[in-house]
Amino acid sequence: MKRHLTERELIEYLFKLGSAAEMELAGEHLGECESCRAELERLERKFAALDMLRDDVKASEGLIARAIEQASEPGPVKIAAYRKIPAWASAAAAVVVVGVLVLLTTRPWQEKLPEPFAKAPTSESVKSIQLKPGSKSEGFTANGTAVLSRSALGIPEKAPFAPASAIELVTLPRRDGVQLTIYNSADLTLVRERRNLTLKRGWNWLQFMWANTLIDPTSLSIEPQEHNDKIDIQQLVFPARLRELGRWLIRSEVSGQVPFEITYFTSGLSWRAFYMGTLSQDEKTMSLKSYVRIDNGSGEEYENAQTRLIVGKVHLLEQIAQLARRQYAYDSPVQTLKEKRAHIADQPGDRLATLNGYSDAWGRHDVSALAWFDLADLGGDGPKEIKKEGLSEYFLYTIEGTETIPDKWGKRLQSMEAEDIEVENLYKYDEDRWGTATIRFVKFSNDEDHNLGDTPLPDGTFRIFAQTDEGGELSYVGWTNVKYIPVNEEVELNLGAARLVKVEPVLVDFATANYRFDGDSNIAGWDEIRTWKIGIANTRNLGVDIEITRSFGTPYWKLDSAGADAGWEKHDATRARVELKLDPQTKRTLEYKVTTFHGARTEDWRQ
Amino acid sequence: MVETDKSLLDAHAVGDKAAFSELVRRYGDSVLGYLIRMTGNIEQAEDFFQETFKRVHEKGHTFRGEGFKSWLFTIATRVAIDGLRKRKRRPVFSLNQVSGCTNGNCGELGEVAPADCPNPAEAAIDSEQKEQVRQAVEELPPRQRATLVLAYYQQLSYPEVAVVLGCSTGTVKVQMSRALRTLAQRLPDVSGGAQ
Repeated sequence: MKRHLTERELIEYLFKLGSAAEMELAGEHLGECESCRAELERLERKFAALDMLRDDVKASEGLIARAIEQASEPGPVKIAAYRKIPAWASAAAAVVVVGVLVLLTTRPWQEKLPEPFAKAPTSESVKSIQLKPGSKSEGFTANGTAVLSRSALGIPEKAPFAPASAIELVTLPRRDGVQLTIYNSADLTLVRERRNLTLKRGWNWLQFMWANTLIDPTSLSIEPQEHNDKIDIQQLVFPARLRELGRWLIRSEVSGQVPFEITYFTSGLSWRAFYMGTLSQDEKTMSLKSYVRIDNGSGEEYENAQTRLIVGKVHLLEQIAQLARRQYAYDSPVQTLKEKRAHIADQPGDRLATLNGYSDAWGRHDVSALAWFDLADLGGDGPKEIKKEGLSEYFLYTIEGTETIPDKWGKRLQSMEAEDIEVENLYKYDEDRWGTATIRFVKFSNDEDHNLGDTPLPDGTFRIFAQTDEGGELSYVGWTNVKYIPVNEEVELNLGAARLVKVEPVLVDFATANYRFDGDSNIAGWDEIRTWKIGIANTRNLGVDIEITRSFGTPYWKLDSAGADAGWEKHDATRARVELKLDPQTKRTLEYKVTTFHGARTEDWRQ
Repeated sequence: MVETDKSLLDAHAVGDKAAFSELVRRYGDSVLGYLIRMTGNIEQAEDFFQETFKRVHEKGHTFRGEGFKSWLFTIATRVAIDGLRKRKRRPVFSLNQVSGCTNGNCGELGEVAPADCPNPAEAAIDSEQKEQVRQAVEELPPRQRATLVLAYYQQLSYPEVAVVLGCSTGTVKVQMSRALRTLAQRLPDVSGGAQ
C-alpha cells in the first residue's frame, strides 16, 4: 500500500473492525510506515480517555431488593414510542356507546322529575332509587329504577334531585395532567385528564361546561383513582334549558381531595409531520430531524399535555364535531321526533313496522332510542353520517415530554432525530413521467442499517438541504411529500428537476425499411429505424448515478448499441433502461439505434 | 455446584424467589454499569434497571436457553433506548454530581480524598476530562452508544453485540466505527495514558 492509512482505517485496525484482508494489509503498511504508526499511537492515547469511565459499578442491596420485589408484582409497564392502542382507549370508546345506551334507558326517569333548579333534596324528587351494594357507576336498571340500599354512614339514602344552590357545586379544578390522543384521520381526539376534586362526605354535584369548545358531551366519563370502594359515580344529568352544561352526582364516603380521571372526545385538534434532512458534503449520508405540528382549534387550552398521535384509520360511530355542536347533549327529543316521523314515512313497510314497534314499547322517550336505532341500523338516510369503516392497522405515536397547546395555536414539536443515514443519490430521466427534466432522487431505508427503523414514519413533507462547506453553510435542495413509511421500507424522495445534471436526447437519423405487401400490393408491414444520441452532462463537483429510461410506444422493438454505449436493458414491454455513472464535471454521449416493427412485421418480430 | 442461568430462570418460573434473586445479583452490577453509561444519569439508570429485571420476570418464558447475558442486555438496551427517547427532554445531571447541587461546587459523590490524592489542580483537570469523556459518549446517537458500551465497556464480542442489538455483525462494526470516529474528534487528550 503506497498511500498512508486514513483515520478510519487506523481506527478499524485498532478495534479489529475490518476484514481479515484489510487488517493484514493495514498491519503490513504499519510495519513500514513510521508516520502511520505515530498516528496509530496518537489514536491509542486518545481512546485511552474512554477508560476514565471504566469505574466499577456496584448495584446496591436496596436496588437489588427493589428489583426482586417489583418483579414479583403482576402487570407489565411499557415504555414504547409506538404500540397498539391500549385497552383503556378501547374501553373509553366503549364508554361512549354504553354511556349513551344507559342514559337513553334512563330518560323516562329523568322526564318524570319536576323542575330541577335550586331545590333542596326532597323525598318525592327521587322515588324509587336505591343504591346497589357495591355498585360503582351509573347503575340504573332498564326501567329507570336504580336499586338502593343502605342509610349507613350518615349519608341520606335518597340522592338529591339537584344541587340546592350553586354553592353546592363542585366545579372542575385545574388539570394535574392531561394526555391527548389525536386521531388525524377522523378529526377526533381522546382527552384523558387527571384532576383532584375536593369532595365532601355525602352527595356531591360536579358541574362541567363545554361552551365554545368542540367537546362531545356524550363521551364524558369519570372515574375516581382512589377510594374506589367509597365513591360512587351515580348519574350524569343534562339539566333542561341549560345548554352546554352537565352535572355528575357523586356519592362519597370520604371527605377531602380525591384524584379523578376524566375522559372524553373532542374535535378540532390535528397534526402534521415534517422532516428536515441535511445531506453531508459528499452527499453520502444525511442527518434527519422530524417534527410534528399540532394545531389546536378545539376551543380548549391543554396545559402540559402528553401528546400521542394515531397513524391509521379508526372505527367511528358518529362525527364528533357534529355531536359537539348539538344544542343539547343528546339533541332535542322533539326535533328528533319530527325528523324521525318524517323519515319513517319514507321507509318501506316492514322497516316502519319495526320502528313503530320499538316506539310503542318505549313510549314517548324512546324517540331518542329510535334515533339511535335508526342511525345505527339504517344508516345513510339520516342527517348524520355514520362511518362504518373497518378497523385497520394503526400505530400510536407518542411525542416525548409534555407540551402546552393553547387554543387556536399551532405548535411544532421535535419528534425524532437520526444521524449518519446512508443515502443514495440518483438522477432519473424518463420523458413519459417527467418530460424533459432530469429528476433528482435521494434514497434510503427506514431500517436499523440506516440508523432508523425504530418507528414507522408518518405521512409528511420532507425538505432536504445540503452542506456546501465545512462551516456548515446549507443550500436548499428540494422538497417532497411522502406517504406513511413502515419499518424496513425503502424510501425514494423526489427532489424535483436537477439543474446541474442534464440529459438531452437528439434524434439524428430516421429511416424505414423491410416493407411487406399484401395480395393487393398494399403496404402491410414495415420497420422504422431511429438513431438517437443522448448527451449527458454532469456539471457538479460530485460523481453522479444516472438512470435513463426510453419509451418506444410499442412492444415490438429492438435496440442496438455497442461498446461503451451498451448496457441497455429491457425494463418492460415498451421501455428500455440504462444506468451509468458520470464523474464530476464530465460530459458523455450515448448512441443507440432502435428499430420498431409495424403491421405484418410484428409477426417477424415475434419469430 | 453453580446453577446455570437457564436453571435459575426455570426455578423462578415455578415460584423460587431465591433463584430470581441470584440472577439479579449475578448480573446486577454489569447491567447497572451498562445502563449508567447509556443514560449518563444514575437515577434513570436505576429506574431502567428495575424495569429490565421486571421484564426478565415477565418474559422469562420466552428465553430459549442460550446466551442469557445477550438476552438480558437485549432487554436492557430496549428499555434504555425507549426510555431515553421518552425522557429525552428531561434534564440530565452528572453521574457523580451530588443530588440537588445546582452551582457545581458541591463536590462529587463519594468524595473522600485518599492519602495519595493528587494535588487539587490535577484533580480538577482529571474531573474536567472525565466530564468531557462522559459528554462525548452521551452525545453519541443511542445505537452507536449502545454498541460502544456493549463492546468496549461490557466487553462483549461483536457477534454478541449483534445479538443484543438484533442486527448483523457488519452493522455493529459500522456503528462502532462511526462512534469511534466521532469520539476521535471529541475526546480530550489525556496525558499519561489510561487512568
